[in-house]
Amino acid sequence: MGFTAEALEKTVLQGEPDWLRERRQSALATYERLPAPSKTDEEWRRTDVSRFNPTEFSHLEHLDGLKLERPAGLPAGVILKPLRMAAREHPELVEPRLFSLVHADRDRFAALHAAFFTGGTFLYVPDGVEFDEPILGQHFSHQAGTSVLPHTLIVAGRGARFNYLDEYIAEDENETGHRSGSTEIFLGEGAQVGYVAVQKWGRKVWHFADQRAELQKDSTLRLFNVTLGGKFSKTRVEASLAGEGSNAELKAIYFASGDQFFDFHTLQDHRVGNTRSDLLFKGALQDVSRTVYAGLIRIEKHAARSDAYQANRNLVLSDKAKATSIPMLEIDNNEVRCTHGATVGPVDPEHLFYLRSRGIPLATAKRMLIQGFFGDVLDRIPFEHARKLVEAELESRIG
Amino acid sequence: MADFEIKDLRASVEGREILKGVSLAISRGEVHAVMGLNGTGKSTLSHTLMGHPGYTVDGGSVIFKGQNVLELEPDERARLGMFLAFQYPVVVPGISMANFLRTAMNSKRGYDGKDKSKQVTPKEFRGLLKGELEVLHMDDSFLPRYINDGFSGGEKKRAEILQMAMLKPEIAILDETDSGLDIDSIKFVAEAVNRMRGPELGILIITHYTRILEFIKPDFVHVLVDGKFVLSGGPEVAERLEKTGYAEWGKEETAQPEEVA
Repeated sequence: MGFTAEALEKTVLQGEPDWLRERRQSALATYERLPAPSKTDEEWRRTDVSRFNPTEFSHLEHLDGLKLERPAGLPAGVILKPLRMAAREHPELVEPRLFSLVHADRDRFAALHAAFFTGGTFLYVPDGVEFDEPILGQHFSHQAGTSVLPHTLIVAGRGARFNYLDEYIAEDENETGHRSGSTEIFLGEGAQVGYVAVQKWGRKVWHFADQRAELQKDSTLRLFNVTLGGKFSKTRVEASLAGEGSNAELKAIYFASGDQFFDFHTLQDHRVGNTRSDLLFKGALQDVSRTVYAGLIRIEKHAARSDAYQANRNLVLSDKAKATSIPMLEIDNNEVRCTHGATVGPVDPEHLFYLRSRGIPLATAKRMLIQGFFGDVLDRIPFEHARKLVEAELESRIG
Repeated sequence: MADFEIKDLRASVEGREILKGVSLAISRGEVHAVMGLNGTGKSTLSHTLMGHPGYTVDGGSVIFKGQNVLELEPDERARLGMFLAFQYPVVVPGISMANFLRTAMNSKRGYDGKDKSKQVTPKEFRGLLKGELEVLHMDDSFLPRYINDGFSGGEKKRAEILQMAMLKPEIAILDETDSGLDIDSIKFVAEAVNRMRGPELGILIITHYTRILEFIKPDFVHVLVDGKFVLSGGPEVAERLEKTGYAEWGKEETAQPEEVA
């Protein structure tokens, strides 16, 4: 049927409030208007989408197909429900925010996601509410050849503190399809949010994700991405430091093998002074896989006394794998501290020799060094449940 | 025949010939010292014996337990009973000393994750460790730290000897273990090595200076100049070097250490 107005009407619009219908229709118009990104766009120069034809995957899989783990004893006032239900029941919370950070007109794929997003979660934690047990959202794909386009919207009130995990799971590693998994996070004054996204869609899907957080005064975000799935995966991670004293920690690990291609675009946008951001993306590449990392630190004019750190480290485990790393700075204020760096290289032969000289066999030594490479960043996963999950996932891949 | 026989070993680095025919027979229970100036081939000897990929063997053999170890991978040599205490132990981020030591011990015992009876138990590990730490004047706070990460020069060298004690080799090569160490650290290291001395262990001490040999008395001393042994004998060779340095081989340098602060 294709991603058409007719399809939109028949599949997702039923029962949705007018404002959301209009928003979807407008996003569809944007999708139809925008051309596919071309290689002349800097962001897409190394990221080839010419063979991606979304209409091949225009069958939408389940609309609210997610499993939400509602922790026992969730404090009163916390709203946790499928996004489409929340749009109907809490328009005053959802309407002003949905797609206000992740913009539908960013590019063709963002527009398609905004028009046809299915499933997804809404989490609202009121002012001053804190809880320890993480909230777990699991998004499944069950069928090959479909689109699965979940969207997460998180609103943290003033002084709220909690952790959230999005897990994107393929029933069949080998299914084809189109997947997304975008997230918007609003942090009120003094809020502390841990957010982890574990992307393990199938190895043959096209995947696009846009994550963006906005941080008000004195809030802290600890955001952690794990990218494992997709033959093509493009993830944007953006933090907008909008309040003094806000602090964004953006970490990620990725493990690419076979012919996987991963693209990461990050933005640390320091809009006001006394803000801090700390980014570390670490990846290992095997076989003929390729990765591209491009990250921008932007310090705006009035953002004095800000600290920004950015590092991308790549462990290249095969001669035929290739990692590209492009760190960028845009600084309009001199009173700041900024460091950035990138490394791309194989396992250090001296490290390997040292371990082997103690009797540790080659395969074991390599595995230890890969685990060791990820060790410091794994320690930054904001909560235990996610840490265990990620360690197990990595272990099975490094195996 | 000796337990460990180096015969006419020739080796090069990046096409440069460094070892020009070295022969040496070590039996378990013996301590041999190889002395030489910088650039005479000491490091090449230790690295070639352990199988570092940056060194090319051009000829000769090293027979240990009936095998030419030059044909074995570094980890196979270690499992056969060889050990190298590195001159410059590398920092390996992300792997704790505890994990490293335990994995090395398990590998040495042939534990491959299946036969649990071969695995070093936590109790055994702690027991072994405790005694050795005392001798080396170390505490166990270094166990959760990454391999050699943030260790002082002395701590790194002591950690090497600790690994040796835990892995119980039959042939141990100590590559300039004394260099860069203060006198106390040398004494602790020497005490730990002396404790290991015995009929099961052959030791090869590679050093520039005679000082460590005051604390670990060698049975045999060999002088390496330009990739060849020019003199071999008993402990008196070290005494002679102590007095005259390497001058008789046309080298203007003493065998006394620089002062270490």
